Amino acid sequence: MRDNVTWKIGGEAGFGIMSAGNVLAKTFTRAGYHIFAVNDYPSLIRGGHNVVSVRIGSTEFSGINRDLHILVALNSETVTIHKDELNENALVLFDPAEKEWTAADFPKSVRLLPVPLRDIINNLHADMVMRNTVVLGASVALLGAPFEALFSVIHDQFIHKGAEVVDQNEKIARAGFDYIKEHFADATDMHLSPGTITEKQLVINGSEAVGLGAVRAGLKFAAIYPMTPINAIITFLADHAKELGIVYKQPEDEIAGITMAIGASVAGARSMVATSGGGFALQVEGLSLAGMIEVPIVIDLGMRVGPATGMPTYTEQGELLFAIHAGHGEFARIILAPGDVEEAYHLTIDAFNLADKFQIPVFVLTDKYLNESQWCMKLSHFQKTVAIDRGKLIMGDTGKPEGEFQRYDLTPADGVSPRSVPGTKNGQYYANSYEHDGLGHVTDQAKMRSDMVEKRLRKVTSIEAMVPPPKTYGDEKAEITFVTWGTTKGAVVSAMEQMRHEGKKVSVVTYPWIYPFPAEATKALLAGSARVIAVEQNATGQLCKLIRAETGIDITEKFLKYDGRPWLPEEILSRLQ
Amino acid sequence: MSSLTANSYNTGFLPTWCPGCGDFGIWKSLQGAFASLGIGPDDGLVVYGIGCHGNMYDWMRMYGFAGLHGRALPVAQGAKLANHNLPVVVVSGDGDCLGEGGNHFMHAAKRNPDVTVILHDNQVYGLTTGQASPTAKPGFKTKSTPEGATDAPMNPLALAIVSGATFVARGFAGDLPGLTAIMVEAMKHKGFAVVDVLQPCVTFDKVHTYQWYRQRLYKLEAEGHVPDNKLKALEKAMEWGDKIPLGIFYKEDKPTSEGLEPALSGAPLVSLPLEVAHWDKLLNEFV
Repeated sequence: MRDNVTWKIGGEAGFGIMSAGNVLAKTFTRAGYHIFAVNDYPSLIRGGHNVVSVRIGSTEFSGINRDLHILVALNSETVTIHKDELNENALVLFDPAEKEWTAADFPKSVRLLPVPLRDIINNLHADMVMRNTVVLGASVALLGAPFEALFSVIHDQFIHKGAEVVDQNEKIARAGFDYIKEHFADATDMHLSPGTITEKQLVINGSEAVGLGAVRAGLKFAAIYPMTPINAIITFLADHAKELGIVYKQPEDEIAGITMAIGASVAGARSMVATSGGGFALQVEGLSLAGMIEVPIVIDLGMRVGPATGMPTYTEQGELLFAIHAGHGEFARIILAPGDVEEAYHLTIDAFNLADKFQIPVFVLTDKYLNESQWCMKLSHFQKTVAIDRGKLIMGDTGKPEGEFQRYDLTPADGVSPRSVPGTKNGQYYANSYEHDGLGHVTDQAKMRSDMVEKRLRKVTSIEAMVPPPKTYGDEKAEITFVTWGTTKGAVVSAMEQMRHEGKKVSVVTYPWIYPFPAEATKALLAGSARVIAVEQNATGQLCKLIRAETGIDITEKFLKYDGRPWLPEEILSRLQ
Repeated sequence: MSSLTANSYNTGFLPTWCPGCGDFGIWKSLQGAFASLGIGPDDGLVVYGIGCHGNMYDWMRMYGFAGLHGRALPVAQGAKLANHNLPVVVVSGDGDCLGEGGNHFMHAAKRNPDVTVILHDNQVYGLTTGQASPTAKPGFKTKSTPEGATDAPMNPLALAIVSGATFVARGFAGDLPGLTAIMVEAMKHKGFAVVDVLQPCVTFDKVHTYQWYRQRLYKLEAEGHVPDNKLKALEKAMEWGDKIPLGIFYKEDKPTSEGLEPALSGAPLVSLPLEVAHWDKLLNEFV
């Protein structure tokens, strides 16, 4: 019995690799396990090599690691590419009709499990694309779980297509399950110890977590041009538009996307866009517009490998400084950088409240690894009540005498003026991209210009007063302090746990709220550490630059990775030596 | 409401346009159209582009959005989707709507939002002191085309018709009653309404003067044109030279962009509750 197993399935794109990962993940979360699933695929629809790895643990863990215990190969290429990653005594499930692998083909000793996938499918008169279902059945047997655990997921997934489809899928999955029980009954090395998580869990990707946070916060309008890695939020919003009373509109380009969302926000609806670096590059003029007319807007910026088209389906943390500096002119913004789905959900709710409270653009800075990996999250996290704060928004009637409503009132100490929406009685104003006076009329007078700049930038001071400190993990007095941000947190915390297990004093500092930067808290946290190491998923150490600019602290030891693949804890540990 | 007149929309600001600019006629016609439709200063939204036309907001007392060059249409569509009870008018120009915002123009027409576009069409960029606009006719000499424009001109009416606009008309800035009447029809139309307004630029265009236009313009309705046929409308839209038609070229009833949104069958988005009604049911999809 093992506490955790990492299972990997590979095959050609179009053969249900991604959905197999999702089904296995749900099978085990329902049975009380913690899961994490990460994919790796090229930017193609058919052809090309796709893999999904699912790590399953009987207790909670953070992220993926280098382990590979079970490799399920739908084609021989999967074995060729991944055989060097296998742990000692790993299991390799393959179809001998593809290729007859032998022990000598592998660098370590592994157990070979030839399963005639094609024959099984032919015997059941099914489609070859359903080999993924055969191997799901087989995998559940290899992991020591009852078939019923898998069946409950299959049932829920296909019941809307009718009982016949459920039966067919069950039959195919059971054939795989039975094949293992009959031919490899002794392959029990990878049986998992019982799951210990008693609470109901969701299996969601980062885009869905942002989507759930957004609708919980009262999102009403989203205009999102399709782009990897944020496409799952489009599916989520479009699928649920009717029942949630929201509008998702597919714009003609990202420029239209952000300006539509700004139009909807000016009219009073909580609005967002989502994109990746290339799409955001087009939205920069819209960002500046939002800064000038002081309209709330939430931007989910899902980072992927750049520059330009880069490697569209791979991950990177390359847009931190871009998000901070984007836009012509000077204006306030907030950047939140979730490290996992739990933070993605909660920070998205915060983003909408902050955007309304300060009438500014707020970023949720995500990445491909967050957006497209499948994470588990306890149901109770979502059930907590959520406060919605719309700030100084006025609908109905401002109560001001005609012509006296000052949308851009210069006087508020926090820099935030009252905001009416078109249709509000006695609230007429101009949302003006030009510099403007209190009503929104254009101005180029020196004093009004200076006063208006100062009013808008007073918001920065108001925001800075409420910036929470970074999140910390591990020992208060540490020999080594890792400084990181975003999803890199998972691997860093995992490495930290291992080091602490070996008796070292280690801590991790990470930044769910990254801009405006918590400078004083950072100074205090880094002051006591003998060795500070930054870990980032980019080539230039963008967080290090930010820290140096904001605190004067120069972090010289940087672990940087920019090959598009997420950090693994083992890589951090090996760089330490 | 009945007390509204064109002057109800004046602000303390006086227009900064050149004396004789066609923008004056468009401004007054739009005020007249709002008054006759009973849309008061708090009741609607005008989204302006960037260009001489776009400065109109300062002397138009009505909720206004003075945005970015070329981006008026997406802003208007976002606002309309957020509040489909709100009258939304776009005041744009040939450079704004067909140059920088050309893609938005085609896609707005294709979606058919209930938005009216007043397209100031004078063949030049006036605010940047006289370069050729996308509608500049071949041979037209401007600061950016000293030897005369070489590119084929865009035809806003034909483009609107083939892109799916459901109301396509042309007015003349020198004919206030006629232009006001067209704007009223355009705003009453449920769908994407394009009003191309021919407008002399008195400073940078010495060719297409009021007189030049008056010698050529004629009214489609006088010829018995019925605006129910796309091909006939296109044929009329292509007419340019000794005779230039004014009036409604094409009109069609089609569901609007907002009308097709499942969430917008009742109250507008801005009035819908922010709480999710069946939260647990939604969460259970992921279990």
